[in-house]
Amino acid sequence: MTGIDTAPTLAGSANHPPRRRLRLPAETGAVIALAVLVALLGWLSPSFLEPASLLSVLGQAALPGLLAIGMVFVLAARQIDISAGAVFHLAATIAALLIIAGTNPWLAALAGVAAGAGLGLINGLLVIALRLPALLVTLGTWWMIQGLSLVVGKGQTIAPPGQDVLAALSGNAFVIVPATGIIFVVLAVAMHVVLHRTRFGYRVQAVGSNPQAAAHAGIPTGNVRVLTLVLMGAMAGLAGVIHIGAHGAVAPGDGGTFALLAIAAAIIGGTPLSGGTGSVIGAAIGMLVLQTILSAMTLLGVDAIWAAFATGALIVLALAVDRLIRLWRERRTGYGRDDPLG
Amino acid sequence: MSDSPILFVRTAAKRFGGTVVLEDMNLMVERGSIHALVGESGAGKSTLVKVLAGMIRPDGGTIEFDGKKAIIDSPSAARKLGIGVVMQRPGQFPERPVLANLFVNREPVHNGLISRREMEARSRDLLRQLGLAIDVHAPLGDLGPGDRQLVAIARVLLESPRLLVLDDPNSALDQQQNERLSAALRGLTAKGMSVLYASNRLGDALAIADQLTVMRNGRDVLTKARQDLTTSEEAMIGQLRQSLFPLPLRALPQHAGTLRPRIFVDGLAGGLLSSASLTAHAGEILGIAGTAGQDLLALLFGLKKPRQGKVRFPDGDGLPKTRMEAARRNICMVSGDRGSGLMPDKSIAFNMASVVVGARSWGSRWYSPRSAIDRATRQIEALRIRSAPEMPAGSLSAGGQQKVAIAKWLEIGPQVMLLDEPARGVDIGSKQEIYALIRQMAASGCIVILHSSELSELTGLCDRILAFHQGKLAGEIAGDDMDTGMLARLIASGKPTDERLRGKQENAA
Repeated sequence: MTGIDTAPTLAGSANHPPRRRLRLPAETGAVIALAVLVALLGWLSPSFLEPASLLSVLGQAALPGLLAIGMVFVLAARQIDISAGAVFHLAATIAALLIIAGTNPWLAALAGVAAGAGLGLINGLLVIALRLPALLVTLGTWWMIQGLSLVVGKGQTIAPPGQDVLAALSGNAFVIVPATGIIFVVLAVAMHVVLHRTRFGYRVQAVGSNPQAAAHAGIPTGNVRVLTLVLMGAMAGLAGVIHIGAHGAVAPGDGGTFALLAIAAAIIGGTPLSGGTGSVIGAAIGMLVLQTILSAMTLLGVDAIWAAFATGALIVLALAVDRLIRLWRERRTGYGRDDPLG
Repeated sequence: MSDSPILFVRTAAKRFGGTVVLEDMNLMVERGSIHALVGESGAGKSTLVKVLAGMIRPDGGTIEFDGKKAIIDSPSAARKLGIGVVMQRPGQFPERPVLANLFVNREPVHNGLISRREMEARSRDLLRQLGLAIDVHAPLGDLGPGDRQLVAIARVLLESPRLLVLDDPNSALDQQQNERLSAALRGLTAKGMSVLYASNRLGDALAIADQLTVMRNGRDVLTKARQDLTTSEEAMIGQLRQSLFPLPLRALPQHAGTLRPRIFVDGLAGGLLSSASLTAHAGEILGIAGTAGQDLLALLFGLKKPRQGKVRFPDGDGLPKTRMEAARRNICMVSGDRGSGLMPDKSIAFNMASVVVGARSWGSRWYSPRSAIDRATRQIEALRIRSAPEMPAGSLSAGGQQKVAIAKWLEIGPQVMLLDEPARGVDIGSKQEIYALIRQMAASGCIVILHSSELSELTGLCDRILAFHQGKLAGEIAGDDMDTGMLARLIASGKPTDERLRGKQENAA
């Protein structure tokens, strides 16, 4: 594949032959972690390996997993959205209230998703218009949206009357496969293709890799950033609507950890915080890893009050591993550090 | 004063990855003299300076300072020896006052508090000598680039170094500042300080130097005392540059009356540029000299908004409003600022798709890795990039990276090619190849506009050169008039004629 060198070699010109390295896919780490965890848990408590309990982990992973799918796009564009959990909650609250008010459940669901996308659009426009880092903007909107949820829902659990179409989401397909799990897996695969095989996905990665170069090549970087945040909001809204269907109610505090879980899952799945690349399937596997650990804690009888600490510790661990691998790789390839003429 | 040289560099070598930057470099700086180090950018001057500053460790060779073998393994080691270095882009603190920038990490302390009064007293004389009439309490960012450069030099001089190393100090200075600096340096060398003056401007270096070393491809090719330099040798140094440039390709015969696509610029102003009117034709390389050239290219690419003026591109439309619009109209720009051309962690194939897939809104909505690799394979062969499509672009040498930045535009068949210092910081071999490529673009009917601060690059490559003096068009030179000296005068003074006549008389004599 390399061009044949017909040019005379000049002193000082670069003539190193391309070295081929074995490049492991970004998802490798997450897959290994999941396999080890499942094997370990199966050994400690064989009942965990029953299909029903494995699939229930999938069901638990589905809702935060939808947020993780959106988060991969956001992170790949070198943005971040920590308001996603609050968006999830507000979308769920809006959908529930609309159903109570007698709206058609499908319309209510659509309104929930649209509310999520709208909130994402607000995030995106703030990031672009004020040229602020997404971290700061979404930190602010996180609190605002959380407060809004409390106002709208009056701080109470909202349970729309059952018997509606959305309740089908709480059921299982093929007897044991949770419906939410199916939606999650299908969307993860589809969005993975979107990230890696479409123009939009290409632009997201380009903007995340080097915004300056992307803009210079004529890529509409502002649009791309806004769109990733809209996508994130829509995914959070969708998750909120599905939550209403699957659980029948939304309580204050639901989804509070989702944004951080989604970020952690994306990082475990091989999406760097520095952007430029991402793996939706990796993030989905990453979310399974996180949920496996959380359900392992209940299975092994660890007090539930430790769950928050454990989640935080996992995020720090995932960040540390991501950074160490990156440093190691940079040292090995040697590029990016010494710029001979810079 | 003893007669032994203050600095002795023997067979210094340094390579970065596969790029050889220094190879068998020798240098001797006499005590109390100004030693110029000249060479193209990319010859290795800056690397040698960084070695002396203790920022880069050489792979081989020895350095003797003041007759003793020295190991400079950190910037503080260099400072301890008495080597003061002003880098090409000195690290400064624009938000902090000038005084704080003069005494970085060496602030005089009275009773545990930093004494402003002492800082003022210590710096006053030196600032006056350098002609810096500035408010030392104002933030550095308020000063012009020339004054900022002088502050950086003053900061190092305040450490009273025994050897002052300046890397391209005059790029930001105007004529007057340059003369003041030269005078100040002369005064200091008379007191025993030595100066190593690295520059890629031969004229400036010849004006100030006692000795001169010409550097090329990381080696010293010639070292002489200034007064021993014969005119033929001076010419030879100049010629080293000319050999870089390929012969012009004349693919488009210039029939009278044939309509070639062209850009009309009428009274365009923006940034430093004030009301420029010019025409660029397809098939020629139009050179733009002077700092306003950068703004002209930025305006044409939609990077900056114009204050006034009209432009008509060959497609009949005016200035692009955004870079995206420019890319979609086949108006391309390559900048020497490598940060804006490349996504270093993505593959070469990914990089080369950035215009075709990223900027355009038509064509397939899908991104196909396979066709990206086909595209990259084709360009890698055409441009002799020595790598494979799947490799990260950041693993390439500077020259290879620049070729990738160019190749991504070639994929769309550029109609207008705006080049802003396209070969800056690139090794000689790639430089030649990039120059040949630029010639090819013009020959294939593209409108090429080239801005460069390296005047030899302009005279070597362009069919016509427009010189800008303080943002105004000062003159056009073409054909036999092409000469860097004349161009430099045009940029500096805006008036070629009288000095040009004088130059001709000197030649005749």
